[in-house]
This record gives sequence, C-alpha cells and structure tokens, in this order.
Amino acid sequence: MSRAKELQKSLFGGTTSNARQFGMIFTLVAIVLLFQILTDGLTLSPVNLISLVSQYSYILILAIGMLMVIVAGHIDLSVGSVAAFVGIVVANIMQDYSIPWFLAVLIGLVVGAVIGAWQGFWVAYVGVPAFIVTLAGMMLFRGGNQYIGNADTIPVPEGFRTIGAGFLPEVGPNTGYNNLTLVLGLVICVAVVVREWRGRRTRHQMQAEVAPMWISVIRVAIPLVVVVFATLQFAGGRIGTSFPVSGIILGVLVVIYGFVTRNTAGGRHIYAVGGNARAAELSGVKLKRVNFLVMMNMSVLAALAGMIFVARSAASGPQDGIGWELDAIAAVFVGGAAVSGGLGTISGSIVGGLVMAVLNNGLQLMGVGSDRVQIIKGVVLLLAVALDAYNKKQGRFSVIDSLMRPFRRDAAPSSASPVETGQEHGKSPVAG
Amino acid sequence: MSDAPVLLEMRSITKEFPGVKALSDVNLVVRSGEIHAIAGENGAGKSTLMKVLSGVYPYGTYSGEILYQGTESRFSDIRASEHAGIVIIHQELALVPGMSITENIFLGNEPGRGGVIDWKVANRRAIELMAQVGLEEDPDTLIKDIGVGKQQLVEIAKAFAKDVKLLILDEPTAALNEDDSQHLLELLRGFKRQGITSIIISHKLNEIAQVADSITILRDGRTIETLDIKADGVDEDRIVRGMVGRELHSRFPDHTPNIGEVFFEVRDWTVRHPISSERLVAKHSGFTVRRGEIVGFAGLMGAGRTELAMSLFGRSYGNYVSGQIFKDGKEIVLKSVSDAIDHGLAYVSEDRKAIGLNLLDDIKTSMVSAKLSKISNHGVLDQVREYEAAESYRKSLRVKAPTVDEGVTKLSGGNQQKVVLAKWMFTDPDLLILDEPTRGIDVGAKYEIYGIIQRLADQGKGVIVISSELPELIGLCDRIYTVFEGTITGEILHKDADPELLMKQMTSAKKAQRA
Amino acid sequence: MRNILVRGVAAGAIALLSLAACSSEREGGDSTATSGSTEAAKGFPANSLIGVALPAKTSENWVLAGDLFTNGLKEAGFQADVQYAGSSTTVADQQAQISAMVTKGAKVIVIGATDAAQLSTQVEAAKQAGATVIAYDRLIKNTQGVDYYVAYDNFKVGELQGQALLDGMAKKKPSGPYTVELFSGSSDDNNSAVFFDGAMSVLKPKIDSGDVVVGSGQTDIKQTATDGWKAENAQRRMDSLLTSTYNGDKTLDGVLSPNDTLARAIITSVKGAGKPLPIVTGQDSEVESVKSIVAGEQYSTINKDTRNLVKQTIQMVKDLQAGKTPEVNDTKSYNNGVKVVPSFLLPPMIVTKDNVVEAYANDPNLAPLTK
Repeated sequence: MSRAKELQKSLFGGTTSNARQFGMIFTLVAIVLLFQILTDGLTLSPVNLISLVSQYSYILILAIGMLMVIVAGHIDLSVGSVAAFVGIVVANIMQDYSIPWFLAVLIGLVVGAVIGAWQGFWVAYVGVPAFIVTLAGMMLFRGGNQYIGNADTIPVPEGFRTIGAGFLPEVGPNTGYNNLTLVLGLVICVAVVVREWRGRRTRHQMQAEVAPMWISVIRVAIPLVVVVFATLQFAGGRIGTSFPVSGIILGVLVVIYGFVTRNTAGGRHIYAVGGNARAAELSGVKLKRVNFLVMMNMSVLAALAGMIFVARSAASGPQDGIGWELDAIAAVFVGGAAVSGGLGTISGSIVGGLVMAVLNNGLQLMGVGSDRVQIIKGVVLLLAVALDAYNKKQGRFSVIDSLMRPFRRDAAPSSASPVETGQEHGKSPVAG
Repeated sequence: MSDAPVLLEMRSITKEFPGVKALSDVNLVVRSGEIHAIAGENGAGKSTLMKVLSGVYPYGTYSGEILYQGTESRFSDIRASEHAGIVIIHQELALVPGMSITENIFLGNEPGRGGVIDWKVANRRAIELMAQVGLEEDPDTLIKDIGVGKQQLVEIAKAFAKDVKLLILDEPTAALNEDDSQHLLELLRGFKRQGITSIIISHKLNEIAQVADSITILRDGRTIETLDIKADGVDEDRIVRGMVGRELHSRFPDHTPNIGEVFFEVRDWTVRHPISSERLVAKHSGFTVRRGEIVGFAGLMGAGRTELAMSLFGRSYGNYVSGQIFKDGKEIVLKSVSDAIDHGLAYVSEDRKAIGLNLLDDIKTSMVSAKLSKISNHGVLDQVREYEAAESYRKSLRVKAPTVDEGVTKLSGGNQQKVVLAKWMFTDPDLLILDEPTRGIDVGAKYEIYGIIQRLADQGKGVIVISSELPELIGLCDRIYTVFEGTITGEILHKDADPELLMKQMTSAKKAQRA
Repeated sequence: MRNILVRGVAAGAIALLSLAACSSEREGGDSTATSGSTEAAKGFPANSLIGVALPAKTSENWVLAGDLFTNGLKEAGFQADVQYAGSSTTVADQQAQISAMVTKGAKVIVIGATDAAQLSTQVEAAKQAGATVIAYDRLIKNTQGVDYYVAYDNFKVGELQGQALLDGMAKKKPSGPYTVELFSGSSDDNNSAVFFDGAMSVLKPKIDSGDVVVGSGQTDIKQTATDGWKAENAQRRMDSLLTSTYNGDKTLDGVLSPNDTLARAIITSVKGAGKPLPIVTGQDSEVESVKSIVAGEQYSTINKDTRNLVKQTIQMVKDLQAGKTPEVNDTKSYNNGVKVVPSFLLPPMIVTKDNVVEAYANDPNLAPLTK
C-alpha cells in the first residue's frame, strides 16, 4: 500500500498533486479503456476523438472559469444564459452589419466582459451573494437572448464557424496525416520534456530531493505515449478533419489559466480569498478586486464558449446554453474542487470534465438513451464528491494524528516515510 | 481527598493512529468529588485521552480499559458516555449563535413527548440550571448577544441538563478575561461541594495550582506523574518541570533592550463601531513607539485593544472618524491593508485560525502570502525564491515541521504562530502589532515566541504586544499602555509595572499620572 | 543523466508512431471519402446500422415514432440506433448523438430535429462520412447535407385547423362576429410557421372582414409562439390572456391551437378560469385529446398517423439500401435556405367528434377510446 502511494507521489509530485487528482486521472483512463472495449474500439477512433473534442471544448472552457469562481468561494449559475445572450448578439450583428467574423468574436468578448463587470459589481462591491446575482443573471440574460432573437434561430456566416467547427488546415506534403496536427503534437512533446527538465532543475536549485532519473523517464514517457497516440489519431482523421480549432482554443486557455492560477500572485490571491477571505484581506489582498475579476473573467469565458457553440451549431438558437452551468459545475466538483472554496485546480477540472464527457460519449456510442445517460452521470457526480467527503473525513483523523505526533524537525523529506503517506488525505492540493 | 472512592480509572490506555502512537500506556485515576487537572504541552495527548473517555474514539479503537463507577465501561459514542453522566465541554463551544439560551441548553435533549417540546418545562428548568451556574440573563436571550464568559456558563448549564456526574472542561478559560475566569473557577469549587467531579485541562498553570486537588501530567503520550496539589506542595514551577521535563529557569529569555528614538506616533485616534455607529471603539487615543522598543497594551476583554490595532492597520476595522498617524516624523494615511503593509506595518491577529491563516495552505504559501511581490517578477511567482524564503524562516524560527510543504493544520498552535510571525516578518515591517501572540500555546513555545519578539526589537523594529496575561506584559515589555473602553488610561514603564497598578488603570476611566 | 531521458523518450515515441500509424482513416490521401456524397445507386448491406435521432420525449408522438422505428427497422433487417435528446440540453445532446451515429458508421441517419437550424455541422459530417440524411417531420435548414425530407403536408394541416375552427364556432353560434385567440408552435421549429401560415390563409379573410375578432389583438407569430412546444408555456400565456382580455363576461369563442398538448393546456387554463369552453383545435391525435374530443371538450385534432410517416421513412431507407432512388412527390416547395430538398409529403386528415370512430378504426390504441 505505502509502496504504491510512494510511487504515486514520486510520479505525480508530492505537492502539485494529491490522491484525489491521481484518482481522477486513473478513473479517466479506466473509463476510456472500458468504453474502448465496450464500443469495439470506436471510442479512441479518430472520428470519435475529433467529435469528442469539438463537442465538449466549450463546456471545458466554462469549467476553467467556473473553477476559479468556485475556488474563490462563489458560484456562477448564469454562464449558460450569458453564453446564449452573447451568441445571439454576435449572430445578430453579423447578420445585420456583415462585419468580419473575427471582429464579431472581439465584440462578443467585450459584451461578455461588460456582463461580467455587471455581475462582478454586485458580487464584489455591493456584497450580494454570487448565487443570487447569477441566478438573477440567468433569468436576465435568458430573457435578453429571447428578446433579441425573438426566440428565433439565427444562422452565422461560414468564417465564424471556424472557431467551433473548424480544423487545422491541410498544408505541406502528403504524409498520410494532417501535417499541422503532427507539428502541434511535436510541440507538445517537446514541452512535456522541457517541463520535466526544468522541474528537476528547480528542485535542484531548491536543494530539495530530486527524484531518481527513472521516475522522470516514466513521468515523461507516459504523457508522451498519450500525446503521440492522440496526435496520430487526430492527424489521421478523414481528410478535412484534424485537431479541432476549438480544441486548440481550449488548450491555449488551459495553459494560460493553469499558469495564472499556479504561478502568479493574482492566482494565489484567488485561493487565499476562497480559503479564508478575512485572512486574505488582512494580508493585503484586495478582496473586492479579486471577486470582481473572477466573476468578470467567468462571463468572458462564457461568452467565448457561447460563440464556439454557435459556430459549431452554425446558428444561434433559443435553447443554447440551457443547463451548461450544471455541466461546468459538475466538471469542477468531479475534478476535486471543494464546495466551500479554496481548493481545486484547472487540470483537475479538465480531467473531471473529460470524465463526464467520455462517459456521455461512450454511453451514446453504446446506444444508451439520454435518460439513462443522465442517471449514470448523476450517480457518478454524487459518488465522486462522496468519495471526496469520505477522504476528508478520514483526513480529519489524520490531522489529529499529526498534532499528536511529535515532530522530528530534521527528519528526511516526507516522500519516503510511511508515517507521512498515511496522512495523504489532509494534504492541500492548492499548488497543483 | 485521597481517601475518597475512585470514580474513574483509565488503565494503560494506548491509542494509535496510522504511524503514530498518540497515547501509550496512560493511566488516570480520578476520585469522586475532586477537581482533577490534566496538564501537558500541546500534543502531549490530553485531548486524545478525553476523546477516548467520552467515546469520540469508541471502544475497540484503543487498548486498555476504562473503569467508571467501579465497572468497566465501553462507550460506543458520545451519547453513550453522556448517558453515563460524563460530559465534555470543548474549547470551541458547541452553541448555536442564533438560538436562545434555553434552546441551546436543551439542544438534542429537549424535554417533551414524541418530539414536541414542552416549552414550559424547558423554560422552568433553564432558569433553575442558570441559577445553578450563576448565570443572570433572560433565558430567551440569543447566544450571540451574550459574551464568551456567559456562553461558557450556558455550555455548563447544558451539561447539567444532562445530569452530569463527571464534568470535563477543555481549556475553559482560554477565551475568558480575568474576572470571568475567576468566576468560573469559583463555580468549579461550588460544584465540588455539590459532589460533582471535574476534570480540567488548562495551560494556565496558576489556575490549576489555585483550584485543582490533584494533577496528572502527560508528556509525549505517556503519564509522567500524578500529584496531590496540597500534600505535595505543587506550584507552577513544579508543574512546568513535569510538563517539559526540564527546569525553566525563567519564563522569559534574558534581554537587554536597546531603545532608540520615537519613530511611530498616533494622535487623537477615534473610530466608530462598524455597525452601531453611535458607539466609539477608540476614543482620542494616542501613543508612541520607539525603535527597538516592546510596547504592551493591557486591558480587559472588550476594552478595545484589538479594535484600536486593527483600525490602525489600514482601517480594517470600524469606521474612521479622526486621528493622525506619524511615522519617522511624517504623517501617513493608511486607507487599506496594502497601504499599511507598504508603510511597514504588520498586524498578527489574536485569532490565528479564523483570520490569521488560510488553513488550506501549506507552510511556505502562508509565509509569503502577505508580500507576494517579494518573490515575484511582474506578478509571476518564483517558486525557488518562495521555497528559499520559507525554508530560512523554518530554520531560524525553529518551526517543527519536516518540510515547508507541510499543511499548516498539521502544526501545533505554537508552530502555527511561528508561521504567522514569519509571514509578517517577511513583509519587512518597521512596526509589528502582535495581538495575543501566545494564546493557546504551550509553555515551551511561549518562551521561543518571546525570544523572537525580543530579536525583532533588537533589529530596531518597534513591537506592540497586546495581551490579557499581565505577567506576560510585565515580563516582556519595556513600556505598557493601559486601555479602558477605547481610551488609553495610563502608561507605565517596565521598572514600575506591577499587576495591581496595571489592573487599577485597566478598570478605570481616569487617566493616571505617568509613574 | 539527461541523455537517458531523451533517449528513452525518443525510443518510446518511435515505437508508438509505428504502432498507431495503421489506424489512419485517410487511406493514402485523397480517395473515395473526399467525394463526399454517397452514391445512392450503390446501396449498402442489408444489416447496416440506421441511426434515428429524435427530439426530447415531450410528446407521445415522438415516443411512438421511436418505438415504430426501432421495431420497423429491425423487421426490415437493419440495426437500429434510436436516440432521444435529453430533456434539458436538447440541441447539444442531439448534436452529440448524431456524431456518435456517424462514428458508428450509420448508413442512413433519420433526424427529427430539436432545432432545425443548429445541426448543419453534424449533418455535413454525416454526409462526409458517407451517410444519407433524411429529415423526418422537421426540415433541417441551412445545409447542403440533407438528402430527403419526409413529413405530412404541414401547410395543409394549418388550413384544416383554420377551417375546423370556423366550422366549430359556426356550429355553436350561428352568426359572428366570433372572438378567437391564436397560438402557434415553438419558433425554433421550422413547421410552426407553416402550420400558422396555413391556418391564417383560411382565417385572414374572415379577420379582415370583421367576422372573426382576435380578442387580444395578438396576430403576429412572434406574439403567439409557444416556446419549446411546452404545455406550461401555452397555459401561462392563456392564463394571462384570460386575465387581461376576458375578465368579466367577455366570452371567447375559439382558440387556434397548433397541437394537442397545447390544446389541452389551453382547455385546462380556461377551465381554471371558470369560463365556458371555446372551440379548440389540435393536431397529432394524442390519446388524451382523443378522449377529450369524445367527451366533447377539445373540438378537433389532426390525424397524421405516425405509423404512416414512419412506414414511409423506412420505405425510403429500404430503397436506399437496395440502391434505388427513394420516391418523392414534391421537389419544389421545401427550400432549407441553401437547397430545395426533395420531399415526400403525406396528406393529413381532420378529426372531430363526428368522424372520430371512422378515423381511428385502424388504430389499435385509439380505436377503443372512441367506442
């Protein structure tokens, strides 16, 4: 037992990961493999991977923003309505004024920012709970969507559809694969290696214990195997299809927001506010500004998600965005965030969202009806969070343990000590 | 006392958590009708022992046996132990703030039939119970409207409602002022006369010496000794020796102050209460701090010391009315906490867990959290610098944790306090305001904290210490201000300070002459 | 040290490359798949997968259609994959379901669209993958990808509804002017406007002549729309109309309702207000409405027997399988915005209390209700 945990810790990093995240990644892999078998290999086929990414990228984009909102101790129920509102506004503008599509995207983001500023104002500066503000927003912008669109479906031009239904174009020599996707995969591979190498260098600089080389090799090799496999699958799809543009947008956002939440003062402030708002305030964190920006950011991402969906659907309709907030919130909680705030990671939320997405997709491939799919998804959400609650309960005991335990100040770093691994649950995953 | 029958005997109790032995072969004998103190440093096993006794850790999760009233008891949960008349009152009170005294007394134990509460009976019994514990309040008063001292009494009344035979109090006076503490101790003596047995866990050794009949000292999960207070002539020093296993020659490190010029001055500081605007929490207060000086703020609970300090610290409490702050001869205006930090102020709050720390953080994240700009370039954190800064504090302040990646909840009170001190030292302050810096900390750690405070002063910083423990102020501070109802009522130099004089000025509005 | 890392990684990558290379779906560049459109003439194996994507189970008709498709396709020897969209995230669900059908290699995909304008990406993907797309009951808009459209003649349905409303009111009250209210379907459903326009083609002359008065004055389709075809929305609107327009002893003679679910909601609302029941039209021959007609509450419904529609659709699938071009009877009327979709239209039939017995004589579910 302790050996497995030891290995897990050295592979996933002692501080940047926790048992929960490991569990979720494991679950994701298990679900993928399960469906791969149950669907006779359809799950990991190029066609399905491509449609999986383009179907769920907008939900995952919402999950990024939602994670930050939830970490800060709030919730946003309005994302679906905001997405629908921005979608209809953008579709309308393009229809009426025939402006270039990238300008329309820009306008959409600005509209999202304005909506976010509105909601952030009430949450941060007036002090109305985010639940109420965004519940109001949910109605307000749903109504706005129907007012502007007359509950009608408005088509969008071909160019605009790129962001939701577009793929990396075919360029260069015929290699039997989509060349740009191959390049993208190569870039990611290099990034994985460089990251591990820099991580080792940092550990070295910190004079912390550097994991043995074979651990690093495994830690690089596993992602590389996944990336190379995925690259070949995505690049090997039908001509004209390859890695979806919306997936690229998602990837860029994950990298940026992952960095912001992990490695910047601003990101640290979000966790501080969610963990203990008063303590954060007394440490000089500008509470109101953080709350304002978090809410505003969410609406900007909701606007983007809305536009991607509209682009993918080729039209903005009155039912856009219904229920999205729930999918995004579910992804974040399955991904290990705490309802009370202060805990959770971008990568965890993405994994959580992927678990739900693969589940949905796999069941659909098996021809399971949407009624039963919903039931299964509900059970999975409940179990995932219940597991977390159970772990925490165990963790409470281990917190007491550690208080009881006489500390050995000069003890070796904990990764190797069996005493420590028993108390893994109480660990804070903030940094990951 | 020693010939009274034995009420409770815990025999060779051993309790293990994964990888750690919290209790090892602990014995405890409590005689009927006595007040029995349990002392030990934080982490010595006191709370675990009481959790074993009260069934929080049910029978089967520990080894050893509990003999209660002559028979072996195997409690499966708290209800079982309460049913047997053992009631534990925790340090964190288990009261619902929005409910009345009566409702709280009978919470989970409501008189009546079939789930319907008989309010007549409840109110009558509540009044009886309140009389028994000496609480004079309308039973319909909400808990949030009465002070901590009275809340403690409600908690005891609640225990009485359950027909208590053995009352266990975990740090009952930790949050109480001198008066309320005395009242509570007096009450314990009264219970003794009524034949109720008490076990008291306390860090306040003078109280133990004052009220207890016998004492069991734990260290590192083992029973060290059980002493009869009177027969063995036990005093505070004797207890300390048992707890830490060595003599503490002095409770304060030797220190020769090196005091410089006045560099910080507050004039005419007046602040309104944040909610009831007619109340002033600080009234025309003024004081000075010199470089290298440790200045004490003495006052009773509710005197407005914390409010004064927090209102200075970037107006983080109340509504500013008037007043000026001068630093190095220049007036400074601090409208926000970040202004205050930028001008070299630091405030270490009295409530570590509620507002001092983010309990989800690890040590290094906490230590750098008040000045992220020091470890970042254009907002991007440098994790190497963060680690190095935290590691150097861990070493210099001797924080007992294997690495700075440890979560702060895993630390003892003393070590948490060191983390908070490090967090504020990291901001390079010129003036540190320390609000109850040793609350809930065991003796050994207190000594270390005092040492840190003195070192800070020696670096030429000004330090303000707010404390409810007069011996601490007298032992540590170069100068002490007394605060009463939001006003500074006196200023006493170290050489003139004695508890009686301080107490007099802390309880009167008259501004005393400088001694 | 670093060399080991780099070398290990490179070795793994190469091994994988060679392993995954065989899974490409490109078949050596530009070949058959690029041409996109399937050669219908070639046909496909008789046990192929046929996908059927239907909207959420909001009306009996869709549930019945689903059952009929499942059984009918199986009887014909096909593998059937019949899916309903979820009740909350309908459009996204249906998009995902169609994609899944494409992944599974369905040869024909029959789509009853939730939102007829938001499926073009998936329909085109289906087309690319070589599937034939049949729009069932609702025309899919703005895409070249849709091959056939099969439905009842919806303009005709509207005409019949309008006429039934006039006939019913005339039967009850010999002379006008008659006060009516108008309801139309969900605005995201292409058919709503067709029904409404059909009905208005009959009613408009009467309204212009003053013979028929719309009490609330709401005659625009945007005012009369019922979001999502939801009964609660119709009921809510009727409640408001009754309070705003028909307080006191003002009477309401007739209500144009586009389908049965909404008709019953309207009747519930009127009953709740304690008003005498107006003439209410309907459509779809739902069980409860047939009972209501027999009981003399709802005036009329339309019999667009789902059996016939499904039967016709399955016939088209069979034709495609055999490599024949399916029969169509309208190649002009149904323009989806980018192309005229070849359509097969079935004639609808009006049902009132007078002909209810004959109309459902052949329907095993409905016939007993009329006895």
